[in-house]
Amino acid sequence: MNRLYGELIKDLLLLWRDRAGLLILFLMPALLVVIITLVQNNVYKLMGETSARVLLVDQDPGGLLGREIESGMHGVILTRELDGRPVTADEARNLVSRGTFQAGIVIPPGAGREMTELATAEVRASLTGSSAPGGPRPELSIYFDPTVMGVFRSGIENSLTMIVRSLEIKARIKAFGELLPGYLERELKKQAGEFADYVSVPPLKIDLKTAPLLTIAGRALSRSGLPVVPTPVQHNVPAWALFGMFFIVVPMAVFFLRERQEGTMARLLALPVPYAVILAGKVLAFTLVCFCQFGLIVVIGRYLLPHLGLPAFEPGHNYGAMAAMVLAISLAATGYGLLLGCVSRTFEQASMFGSISVVVASALGGVMVPVYAMPELMRRISVISPVGWGLEAFLDIFVRGGNLASIGGEIGSLLAFAAATGLLAWMFFVSRDRVG
Amino acid sequence: MTMSKVAGSEMVLQTRGLVKTYRGSDEPSLAGLDLTIPAGELFGLLGPNGAGKTTAISIMSTILKPTAGEVRIFGFDPGREGRRVKAGLGLVPQELALYQALTARENLRFFGRLYGLSGSELKERIAECLEFVGLADRGAQPVHTFSGGMKRRLNLAAGIMHRPRLLFLDEPTVGIDAQSRNLILDRLAHLNGQGTTMIYTTHYMEEAERLCSRVAIIDRGRIIAEGKPAEMIRAGDHATLQELFFALTGRKLRD
Repeated sequence: MNRLYGELIKDLLLLWRDRAGLLILFLMPALLVVIITLVQNNVYKLMGETSARVLLVDQDPGGLLGREIESGMHGVILTRELDGRPVTADEARNLVSRGTFQAGIVIPPGAGREMTELATAEVRASLTGSSAPGGPRPELSIYFDPTVMGVFRSGIENSLTMIVRSLEIKARIKAFGELLPGYLERELKKQAGEFADYVSVPPLKIDLKTAPLLTIAGRALSRSGLPVVPTPVQHNVPAWALFGMFFIVVPMAVFFLRERQEGTMARLLALPVPYAVILAGKVLAFTLVCFCQFGLIVVIGRYLLPHLGLPAFEPGHNYGAMAAMVLAISLAATGYGLLLGCVSRTFEQASMFGSISVVVASALGGVMVPVYAMPELMRRISVISPVGWGLEAFLDIFVRGGNLASIGGEIGSLLAFAAATGLLAWMFFVSRDRVG
Repeated sequence: MTMSKVAGSEMVLQTRGLVKTYRGSDEPSLAGLDLTIPAGELFGLLGPNGAGKTTAISIMSTILKPTAGEVRIFGFDPGREGRRVKAGLGLVPQELALYQALTARENLRFFGRLYGLSGSELKERIAECLEFVGLADRGAQPVHTFSGGMKRRLNLAAGIMHRPRLLFLDEPTVGIDAQSRNLILDRLAHLNGQGTTMIYTTHYMEEAERLCSRVAIIDRGRIIAEGKPAEMIRAGDHATLQELFFALTGRKLRD
């Protein structure tokens, strides 16, 4: 125990004195979680998750369209006037193309009246069996800032389409109500013969209420019953904590390589201590570092991000599952770090390959872009990333309210990865350093 | 002859037919090394670059596995009784096997703990070893601030923390100032005088002549001469060990 403690203290001291290494392990994930979450929060805005600014150019001020769009478009900030006067179509195009507004809607002159006339003509044609009116229709234009994402575009277009279709239905029903009594009276009089004078159809009074008959409620499903809302914070806090934890492979590999190259390894191998104890001390030291990294990022998510206008991170109450995951990730990362330290021949190899492999595994695992948003091929490849297993389990705990049982598969995979990399490291080590 | 007793004296180390061929190499680094080191001896292993000195030290100190042959240390097979054997071994490697970011005291505390020392015994031993190598007032200084000579002296201190019975020294004075070298040689003689058996490699023939009770000159993995320095010089009609060395190994560069 004294020997294990000695190795642990030595590695912690070496880490403490390696300020550049500490910056990589603690400052880098801390900065990344803040910056990326802030950036992604803006992207969420562009994707329509939060209010975006839309200009409304109403060239048909007396018509229904403007009023209906204003009351029916939810989740956007609609602007009709600039500097106290109605915005023109040219101004709208200019402001949207410059990105000042994300979209602009232009209602052409007389659009409401034309729509009513077309509805009346259509209903009349339907009742009389004549052909429907042809010719051009009034056109509603929507302009988009070219940088806004497809989800936001389709969101605006769908909302607008729903409002217009609803107005069209109302116009058709209104026309129907006006034309149907006359049509019925004429037809009945034809059939009534001598009693035609007695036939009279009263006018239809159609007063459609606009309140919805069915409501639609979207809710995120969480097994814990906690009201967890999927936000960039709930994704980024575990994602970047994981990224930082896997980055311990770089200092770990460099430490290990330094021991091999600077002769301390030779001295350690000549000691009356099983080398497994020395390795266990290293794993323990870096596991402690991983727990500290995770704690730091969670504290940032919980207490700092809300001061920057972001939602607070909700860690839930499943501390056992959380600790088990951090331990499994630490073991996987230390196993990989040992392997890297055994395989590499130079510090440059260890640091370059270590950093690049962690960034690639993180990208594949969904740290930067969620796996579900990846193309099919990348989604299939992503299953090989240990970072992805870790992130999936963290999201299960933090977003879906999962528990130890539900993340058992991921923990098993990470432990298997730790065992495989540890075994490979041992084989390389014995082959190179003990057998020669 | 058994592996543990020769002519009644206790044998600390014996090797028989030690062979080491590294992977990817056609030539063996050791080609049948036979050594017998009795207790209390300060034995010099001399040879040109690539002769197999460091390989021999690495195998004898249990770091490296031989391709063939056997080693007995304190009468035990290190392959089977590794921990028992290692507890009595000390190693001062050719490289400065120290943690540069740690202080001298932290380095000794770490190695002392791994040798099983703790508490007041560890504390006292750290102070003794620092004093022994002339670094008593530099214990709190990080190793990276040390001169080459100071690092070599601390390297020696780390190897003797646990009072080993058998100490391996692989070129312990290479590349240092005259004062540090003199101190190290004095301390080695002192340790040997207290009963520590030593196996010592060096390129400095005058050091070996001054210090070693017996030397072996090896080349291409084999012993080509062995004996007491003075007797070997006399027998070959040479003025110094250096002359004998050149006569046996040639003056051609060995890079």
